[in-house]
Amino acid sequence: MIYADKNTGVLVQGATGSQGRFHINLMNEYAKAVGGRGVAAGVTPGKGGQDVFGVPVYNSVSDACAKHDIGATVIFVPGSVCGDSIMEAADAGIPTIVTITEHIPVHDVMRAVSYAEKCGSKVIGPNCPGMMIPDECKLGIIPANLCKKGDIGVVSRSGTLTYQVISELTDAVLGQSGIVGIGGDAVIGQTFSNVIDTFHEDGRTKAVVLIGEVGGNLEIEGAKRAQALGLPVAAYIAGISAPKEKRMGHAGAIIEGGEGDAASKIEALRALGVPTATRPSELPELIRRCI
Amino acid sequence: MKFREYEAKQIFREAGIPTPKSVLITRPEEAKTALPAVAGKVVLKAQVDVGGRGKAGGILPADASDIDAVAKELFGKTIKGLPVEKVLVEEAVSITHEYYLGITIDRAKKRPVILFSEEGGVEIETLAKERPEALRRIYVDPSFAELPDFIVRNVVGTAPKEIGAVVRKLYDVFQKKDAILAEINPLVSSPAGILAADGKIIIDDNALSRQGIAENRDLTEREKEAEKHGFSYVELEGEIGVIGNGAGLTMATLDIIAHYNGRAANFLDVGGGADAERVCHAVKLVSSMPGVKVIVVNLLGGITRCDEVAKGIINAAVSQEIIVRIAGTNEAEGAKLLAEHNYKMLKTMDEAIRAAVGVCR
Repeated sequence: MIYADKNTGVLVQGATGSQGRFHINLMNEYAKAVGGRGVAAGVTPGKGGQDVFGVPVYNSVSDACAKHDIGATVIFVPGSVCGDSIMEAADAGIPTIVTITEHIPVHDVMRAVSYAEKCGSKVIGPNCPGMMIPDECKLGIIPANLCKKGDIGVVSRSGTLTYQVISELTDAVLGQSGIVGIGGDAVIGQTFSNVIDTFHEDGRTKAVVLIGEVGGNLEIEGAKRAQALGLPVAAYIAGISAPKEKRMGHAGAIIEGGEGDAASKIEALRALGVPTATRPSELPELIRRCI
Repeated sequence: MKFREYEAKQIFREAGIPTPKSVLITRPEEAKTALPAVAGKVVLKAQVDVGGRGKAGGILPADASDIDAVAKELFGKTIKGLPVEKVLVEEAVSITHEYYLGITIDRAKKRPVILFSEEGGVEIETLAKERPEALRRIYVDPSFAELPDFIVRNVVGTAPKEIGAVVRKLYDVFQKKDAILAEINPLVSSPAGILAADGKIIIDDNALSRQGIAENRDLTEREKEAEKHGFSYVELEGEIGVIGNGAGLTMATLDIIAHYNGRAANFLDVGGGADAERVCHAVKLVSSMPGVKVIVVNLLGGITRCDEVAKGIINAAVSQEIIVRIAGTNEAEGAKLLAEHNYKMLKTMDEAIRAAVGVCR
């Protein structure tokens, strides 16, 4: 299992907001199409008793978990209160916490991720498109029509860039075993390494596409992990033309004092023997050569 | 958002961290009477947001005899391109030892890290690279509301015990102000005790509203305009305007422009679910940048609908050529609208970017 599967009951926190509603509908349309359980319940404090497209809404995560078998939650609440929602989900013992929300203060993220880890929960994100196991389940906002079932694991810090890469893979008839967006913030829950471990344990993944950005050094650690596990890996790092000290949309995509710039990451990946694309359109060919 | 030295010192004082006596002035005439209680030497420090301020002539010593002239000189300067509009008049401190103390966030470890060195007053990046053993790194569990004693002991080591109190107070500032960096460099030993001689605080941009900060003043006017519309926007120096959705895809667009030897004028991420009005604002904003010859719109519709994007482009009606690559939800409707208005729409991002680079040749 890659964090979730067909049988995972899903909770949505922030169920009655516009994003929550829109994506509960899309997630359940997908669940229906593939015969999965999909979103079983929603939470919005103060809105208990309502329903969203037939999904019952509760006041608290523990209320929802008492009534439903929940294996994962997808969080859409606003950034200013999102740290609290992550901790509430972890406190209720939900194993997988997918956090779509962006603009969460980083101190809140550190506290929430640390607490979730102590509770044994895995946080995917924040500031991510969520994850998708083609023909099994969709937890988040990745457009389902772009994906195709297969054996390539995709792990990425980006949103739309991930969609770009998936559609290139799908066009090249390279299906995906799982697609996990780990998020673009400076501090995130699951890292490239953690996701690659999960791909490996699950066993269905034959090769990994790693999509990184400027900032930090998690891509290198992830590539090394894949190599140690004997999983072929190809990479693309966005931001080779990004100027220093400028924030490029993601809190994570800022180069700090020359550390973690794209050029040095690409160089480090190539030194490890990881085929690294200069454009996303080169990835299908690179990954095909790996397998 | 960065706080300047005088703001950081104000925050330090409120937190109980001792600093040298200082007063902020905005006109040279104010220098002489700024610190009446200080009899001896003072230093005048330009409050400009640049590194290496001292070496660039932004810090000048003075005493009662020459303070007027020195203040006039400093206010007349530009430091690395920035005019001097504010000056901190500070008592000169006789320093017996300099330390470095900083608190920031370690991304990989997902927690705060306290950095301390007994060799302060230097470029800390240089020290970290050349003599990493001289810089202590102590990690803090983010669930601690205040620092436990063992962490303070590990930070201070054999340095004077009074520094422990400063470490605690600076950690408090770091948490309460939502800082991503809280730094005292140098932290000095003087006959008056331990003092924060210079400081820097950077606040998390995602926490500005709860810190009561209405506007990020680090941004240019056009960047502020972009922020109002919820765009991520950075100005660069080329002639190809760029509009994308999502930070990664937009960055990749810049990279491919560079790959084909083009030069991007900007980075603009319209964010998720942009409608016609937002796209129209984005196109107009990029079009208003001087030197933009062509605009590439590269959007992947998930939540974003391609027909809305097309309407936004058409409504903006700007003078530059626009090359469009949009794919995803309602793609056919978008393509039809664009074709009716004679806009060029290309299938892949590589093609679109090559075409844009071609326009500039």
